[in-house]
Amino acid sequence: MAEIILAFVQALLLVLLAPLVSGTARWMRAKMHARKGPSILQDYYDIAKLLKRQDVGTAHSSFVFRITPPLFFGCMLVLACGVPMITRFCPVPALGDVITVVYLLALPRFFFALAAVDSSDAYAGIGGVRELIVGVLVEPALMLGLFVAALATGTTNIGEMGVAVGSLQVTSPVGLVIAGIAFAMACYIELGKVPFDMAEAEQEIQEGPLSEYSGPSLAMLKVSLAMKQVIMAAFFVAVFMPFGSAVDCTLPALIAGAAVFAVKLIVVFFICSLVENSMMRVRYKLMGRQTWAVVGVAALGLVFCILGI
Amino acid sequence: MTTQLFLVSIALSCVGAVASLAAKRSEGASKTIGCVFGVGAGVFGLLAGLFSIFTPAELVSVATPFSFANFSMLFNPLAGLLLVLISVLAIAAWIYGLSYFDEYRGKGLGSAGFFMNLFIASMDFVIVSDNAFWFLVFFEMMSLTSYFLVIIEQDQKSIKGGFLYLIMAHVGFLMIMIAFFTMAGITGSFEFSAFRATSFAPGVASLVFVLAFLGFGCKAGMIPFHSWLPQAHPAAPSNVSALMSGGMIKIGVFGILKVGVDLLAASGCALWWGVLVLAFGAVSSVLGVVYALAEHDIKRLLAYHSVENIGIILLGCGVGFIGMAIGQPIVALIGFVAGLYHTLNHAMFKGLLFLGAGSVLYATGTRNMERMGGLARVMPTTAMCFLIGSLAISAIPPLNGFVSEWFTYQSLFNAAFAGDAVIKLAAAFGAVALAITGALAVTCFVKAYGVTFLSAPRSERAASAREVPVAMRISMIALAAVCVVLGLGAPFIAPMFEHIASSMLFVQPAPCVPVSAGLSNVNVGIGSIVSTPLIAVLLIALIALPIVLRAVLGKGGVAHDRDPWACGYVPDGHMPVVATTFASQVRMFLAPLYDMRDALARQSGRFVALFQGAVKGAEAAEGVGDKYLVDAVASFVTWLSRKVQRIESGDFRVYIVYIVVALVLFLCLTVLMK
Repeated sequence: MAEIILAFVQALLLVLLAPLVSGTARWMRAKMHARKGPSILQDYYDIAKLLKRQDVGTAHSSFVFRITPPLFFGCMLVLACGVPMITRFCPVPALGDVITVVYLLALPRFFFALAAVDSSDAYAGIGGVRELIVGVLVEPALMLGLFVAALATGTTNIGEMGVAVGSLQVTSPVGLVIAGIAFAMACYIELGKVPFDMAEAEQEIQEGPLSEYSGPSLAMLKVSLAMKQVIMAAFFVAVFMPFGSAVDCTLPALIAGAAVFAVKLIVVFFICSLVENSMMRVRYKLMGRQTWAVVGVAALGLVFCILGI
Repeated sequence: MTTQLFLVSIALSCVGAVASLAAKRSEGASKTIGCVFGVGAGVFGLLAGLFSIFTPAELVSVATPFSFANFSMLFNPLAGLLLVLISVLAIAAWIYGLSYFDEYRGKGLGSAGFFMNLFIASMDFVIVSDNAFWFLVFFEMMSLTSYFLVIIEQDQKSIKGGFLYLIMAHVGFLMIMIAFFTMAGITGSFEFSAFRATSFAPGVASLVFVLAFLGFGCKAGMIPFHSWLPQAHPAAPSNVSALMSGGMIKIGVFGILKVGVDLLAASGCALWWGVLVLAFGAVSSVLGVVYALAEHDIKRLLAYHSVENIGIILLGCGVGFIGMAIGQPIVALIGFVAGLYHTLNHAMFKGLLFLGAGSVLYATGTRNMERMGGLARVMPTTAMCFLIGSLAISAIPPLNGFVSEWFTYQSLFNAAFAGDAVIKLAAAFGAVALAITGALAVTCFVKAYGVTFLSAPRSERAASAREVPVAMRISMIALAAVCVVLGLGAPFIAPMFEHIASSMLFVQPAPCVPVSAGLSNVNVGIGSIVSTPLIAVLLIALIALPIVLRAVLGKGGVAHDRDPWACGYVPDGHMPVVATTFASQVRMFLAPLYDMRDALARQSGRFVALFQGAVKGAEAAEGVGDKYLVDAVASFVTWLSRKVQRIESGDFRVYIVYIVVALVLFLCLTVLMK
């Protein structure tokens, strides 16, 4: 019972705090640019304003366009119930299989791209197609990294993987570390940041499909995208960096776990900001090269894993 | 009981076939007769299949005048699964045909009913045959009847596609025949029961397996034997495409399992067989979907997706063979469960998607997706069914494709844990291939659904399209419902596959390997768990919640009536993305794969020469028939009448002489007889 409450609390906290995380990331970037930048609460103000606006869409759009924002939002909530954040184990184990998580991430991607096509907007459509292709390019590295982690820990459940890594009971530590690096790189590409993407430019991969959205629907998608970033970070942290998270369901352990998770998130997004601001935008066409390099790193992890190092 | 049900089904098919041919004059009656008998045969076939799965195996053998060709039929759970699969698809295809065949009036509807009934009956017979001779006979009959269905439109494209199909079917047939004859030569019998009991030398067993794998692989359409699928499947009527792409290619998978697991049971299985199957599966799955992405003909796109899904099925089966070879029953069992589950799933959603494509073709008169768009508005039922099929084939949870792909991943993990370095590498390769395939399939079905059904209509026909008649809608809804049930009901349905796989693998009593626990599916190999009912409930609740929230919190109202933003230009219909947008973007990243296909699949000069030779030969052969049969008979009649003219002098006295002679002759005859 405590686990179920934990799952829903986790999902609720994710909704409430995701704009704070994305706001903080914006603030950090502004500081690195030596700008004053917006307040870290700016994303809350944006959402509050958007909720008052009219929900405008294109004439030929269908139910797909209309249902995508709630669907994206709902999928992120379901994922938030399964991916461990403040605990080491999965709140709902039946949702915590790595394959399930990867495929649950495909559902919003499917509808996000479909809504982009549905809007009849050429820029949105291109953005949608690119979003899908980024998914294709990232998937092999993501899966190979997870495969190595599963081999090293003997399970495919995120929580149990975290437990094995946390107690340092893995068969090939070097392979696991290398796979972790590859997985982190793959997650970073998924986050949609420079050098692969620029989330604030309207015609880019991530924002492109949003160009026809407005009002409450846009607000919902903005929150969902922020939630997705937190979930990707939590996914990585839960498997490869579970140190310090709560191992049982007692209140002090949970509070300590929450504090550790917050620190981890700040570190992860700080590193992301550093990478983002020290790189320049890479041409989309050349993206395949980088992603194959990440696959190469993951394959190296597999080799180490098979050798048992 | 099973046998009787099966025979009733076959009898109905045969009666339906003959009756629809007999009623050829009145096309409407012929169509109705064919469809009604087909549905009846399907219902009995379904019952026979269910009985075969859930009751002890039943072997029936009838002696024929030829000692080598006893007519043996075996109803075991594996055959039952295939019978269920074919029958469900057949029922849907026949109901669909009630309206859809109206498109084919004047193109030989009577023969369509005839061949389609026989096609289904011969598939059923292939599944249950337990004698190599009859297996080959019905296998050939299945190829021939489907060939006639492919060329029903009788235009250039369908005849060429049909010819390619015929060639590939016979290349496969030849390899299977050699495999069977090798076994028959050694055992001295054509009975499968004799093959089963014999332990072949490892070299012979490997030869038989490889021949059968490649031969049945041709039928299954795995790469590199896939070229006929995108040419033959689109040419056939859409409900026949559904039967071929959903059902017939599964006979290939069935054959591989039958030979590898069943007939070579006493000979044991080598590790490299499994690795071979896994490797072919991995390559087929990735390349199949890559090539599908480049298509803008909706039926060709779906045909390429069959190549992909056969690859996914082979991944699971490959793990099954690996598990058998290394003596790990759990690895083998989960592998075959994954393969068999995906076999049924693919049949259902591919059948659904082909029927959906048929409805689009029926409503717009084109298969080119560039000329569609906006159909979701005018064809809501078709659009919803096609969306469910698209989600299922893209392995989106909680639908059925996800369940079987989850089992496939789990079986790969199992193999990696149980095996040595080679198996670990092979399993990792398979998992990565499956991951790429999954992501590409999502891309491809966003394209297929989005370009066909969403956005604004891009042609007159698409704008004026109407929803299809009720019979077609019913069969699509039924298959969509099956897809949902196979996904959400996975915890209750997976044990059936466990039963089938364990009946294939083990002599009873089989080891107990649960694949479900309560409302979840489990993989006992490494203790993984997934629950599709839970995912479904959570998704519905947590999607409904924001819908309500948006309605409550949104204060500005809704207005979906604007033009899309076009960077300041006036938007026009050519701006939105179309099928080629997707194709060109994918081609940018995966160009080498397309170049490879173009290099490999460019029809060789030899094939073209063979085709033209066959056409010339057919023309010449047509004349031969005339020359030696018709002409000979005609000239003999002329010659005879000339001779007869001589005795007809016209004089009545001569006639009297004839009568007297005849009388005398008859009298002599009667005397002699006594």
